[in-house]
Amino acid sequence: MSSHTGESVAAGTTVLWDEGHHGHDMISTRTFGFWLYMLSDAMIFAALFTAYAVLGHNYAGGPTAAQVLRPGDALVETMLVFTSVLAFGFAMSALKQGHRTGVLNWMTVAFVIGAAFVGMEVHEFANLASHGIVPERSGFLSAYYTIVLTHGLHMVFGLLWMAVMAVQVLRDGFTENVVYRLLNLKIFWHFQAIIWVCVFAFIYLQGSI
Amino acid sequence: MSHELHNPLHHPEVQLASTPRYVVGFLVSAALMALSFLIVRRGGLPALDAQVLIAAIALAAVLVQSYLLFHLNFSETQRWHTAAFVLTIPLFVLLVGLSMWMFHALAARTMIPGMH
Repeated sequence: MSSHTGESVAAGTTVLWDEGHHGHDMISTRTFGFWLYMLSDAMIFAALFTAYAVLGHNYAGGPTAAQVLRPGDALVETMLVFTSVLAFGFAMSALKQGHRTGVLNWMTVAFVIGAAFVGMEVHEFANLASHGIVPERSGFLSAYYTIVLTHGLHMVFGLLWMAVMAVQVLRDGFTENVVYRLLNLKIFWHFQAIIWVCVFAFIYLQGSI
Repeated sequence: MSHELHNPLHHPEVQLASTPRYVVGFLVSAALMALSFLIVRRGGLPALDAQVLIAAIALAAVLVQSYLLFHLNFSETQRWHTAAFVLTIPLFVLLVGLSMWMFHALAARTMIPGMH
């Protein structure tokens, strides 16, 4: 840590900030474990993007990517994801200050904007399905539905998690357990923005070129 | 500093939160995505150039978010997060690259209509 800067560091005896009597740092252990879990989740998306890259042009005489994809709507969805992630960032800044109402208010903003994203996506796919554009129609549609709805399902679970955390913050305050869960939810929620960048660029935009 | 040990809000990962970083990360990512949208909407570029440009802009957005939103850096708190992230990249390359190579070779050998 910065307090050690410039001091000589003796191997084996240097005391890190987290040397409690338990001998390990619970929050760092939990967030690092969850980060590894998110990276393995990213491998699922890598597999889905690979499937899309292989099957994305198999239209089987059905609608093409250019006919199905609406990049303008996807740009609005992009901004919704980014804004929700930004609001969750503000919730983390409030957490840093120990402001309970700040955390709850910004998490509510993140929830509402995230829910708007999910609503747009549900509307988009209900519209496609009502026109007979369903996943079993072609390889392209199977891959497209799977990848976008897998991301959408992540968003739904993120919203659920936010609701649970709002209850825990109200009930328990900022205990060690609540704090590490909020840090993990931040990793989870911000991760959805990175995945969405890839969905927007490699599916909606590449399919519209 | 033992008094800090019992307040989880003093944990370095909580203290990483930074409003300016989140705002800049949001603005840069939003601008990059709007830019790539305009490139596609305006058209005019050869398809391959547009595809490479879109992919490069997406990569830039991912890097910006990794640095500004995920705080991936070489600090004591974050270095193992960064290491795990960097070491996942070869896994992505192997998974995506080898699978696509395999399927394209398969398509070329079996001539399944529509897979060329």
